Amino acid sequence: MITLRGLTKRYGEKTVVDALTCDVEPGRVTGFLGPNGAGKSTTMRMTVGLDRPQEGEVLVGGRRYAELRHPLREVGALLDAKALHPGRSAGKHLLAMARSNGIAPGRVEEVLATVGLSDVAGKRAGQFSLGMGQRLGIAGALLGDPGVLLFDEPVNGLDPDGVRWVRQLMRSLADEGRTVFVSSHLMSEMQLTAGHLVVIGKGKLLADAPVAEFIAGNSRTKVSVIVPADGERDALGLRLRAEGGLTHPGEPGELVVDGLDVTRVGDLAYELGVRVHGLAERTASLEQAYMELTASSVEYGVSA
Amino acid sequence: MTASVEARGGLPGAVASEWTKFWSVRATWWCLAAGVALMLGYSTLSGIAQRYDGDQPMGAHTIALGGGFYLAQFAVIAAATLFVTSEYAGGGIRSTLLWTPVRSRVVLAKAAVLLPVLLGYGVLLSCAGMALASAVKDGHGLPTSFEAGFTTASGMAGYYALLGLLCTGFGWALRSAAGALVSVIVLLVPLPLIVASLGLPELMPYFPGIAGVNAMVEAGQPNPITMTVAPYAPWVGLAICAAWAVAALVAGAAVLQRRDA
Repeated sequence: MITLRGLTKRYGEKTVVDALTCDVEPGRVTGFLGPNGAGKSTTMRMTVGLDRPQEGEVLVGGRRYAELRHPLREVGALLDAKALHPGRSAGKHLLAMARSNGIAPGRVEEVLATVGLSDVAGKRAGQFSLGMGQRLGIAGALLGDPGVLLFDEPVNGLDPDGVRWVRQLMRSLADEGRTVFVSSHLMSEMQLTAGHLVVIGKGKLLADAPVAEFIAGNSRTKVSVIVPADGERDALGLRLRAEGGLTHPGEPGELVVDGLDVTRVGDLAYELGVRVHGLAERTASLEQAYMELTASSVEYGVSA
Repeated sequence: MTASVEARGGLPGAVASEWTKFWSVRATWWCLAAGVALMLGYSTLSGIAQRYDGDQPMGAHTIALGGGFYLAQFAVIAAATLFVTSEYAGGGIRSTLLWTPVRSRVVLAKAAVLLPVLLGYGVLLSCAGMALASAVKDGHGLPTSFEAGFTTASGMAGYYALLGLLCTGFGWALRSAAGALVSVIVLLVPLPLIVASLGLPELMPYFPGIAGVNAMVEAGQPNPITMTVAPYAPWVGLAICAAWAVAALVAGAAVLQRRDA
């Protein structure tokens, strides 16, 4: 269980994390979503005491990270796969890590086997590929067999097999009753992995809900209607707006309708005698729900 | 969670971890080996010089002191500085603080690793230097009494250990290898000379480098680097070095404590 209470981080004038309050519960994968620069990494870094909040606090199992006697046995974190001495071998890196928290040295071989790095334990970590470094970081997170796990963008640099492996790993860790908190800017990834979402934008909490509820609550179903003749399409658009719908142009020949259901759009087209080539409901994906929610809070957006 | 665990963590765990980290990078081995090579080379050449040059007769302990101050101490400085600044060259510090979130504990742990290692290294290096120099000079130059040899060995051991701690303090405070190395070396050699030339030669023996050399010379004998007699006993030289080391560690720990990692 991770508890954030009014967590706030400022760098000079800029508020990176703004009064964030939420609980990350055990037994499920909680996705932590937000555009780049939303404050995800900063939040995670504050959780493990690397950054200090100006206000509020974040507790792990009811205590601050720095107060934990053996932090690695309670919290495993993959924050930055490059956070190691490039000249030290993977095995020695994990051995030093184990010794710092009184973890049996035998765990090193176990976690190396778990992440598939047993054969390269003696290789210098600086020579690892991005994907291998990511696996080593995951091995480190698992080393102390902790009840709380934080992963910051864990699938970065992994090949498709690796991505699938990480997904399964996170779900199985959650199934074992652990708290799993995973940040990502890849919505599609979270849709496959997470059961619950915490969404932030510009440091503020935008949503804290189960995935299904988040999608339902943050998107309206749209209707796509394809009318090949320009004049007929314009007439239909006029009529749909008169009925309270919102229309946007889509693909060539397409009209995207908000606020009216598909049968009503079909009926109106029939009444006007408009020739229709296609009529379909569009259910938003998590990606779209997320884009709509964060549209106003993109930090480094490109102007359209 | 089932975990096969030992009780250890906290400061003892941090020391065990830093011990593993110290010995598991090549830089450590290169630095320590370079120091040995420099000491042995200097002792050999100085020993040979004693056979052919009667103008400056020296004892083996004075030769070892010269090798230790002019050359081998830079290997100690490099090893100790890199032990800290390599944490910042990559992102290693973020891992280190994840493992040991109480930051003062990390500073203490690195110091606790360096202290015994450099004490032993100083004894080993000074004894090897004296043995080689006396064998090579083969009765030429001056003899070395047990007291003189003992003072050189204990002084070098203490000086290296405290110099190492001083370097880690600078490393924590400055975070860059180049910055820390330059600062320490300036503090050891040019700065006391500048202060002396500005009319305050009586301050010289209170700089860590000069104080360290004074710790290697028997009371009443001239310091072979400055050619003056120290105004205090050899152990006071080490106490002065200790004061510098503590000041640097406190400053370094304060910087580490204050900043985000």
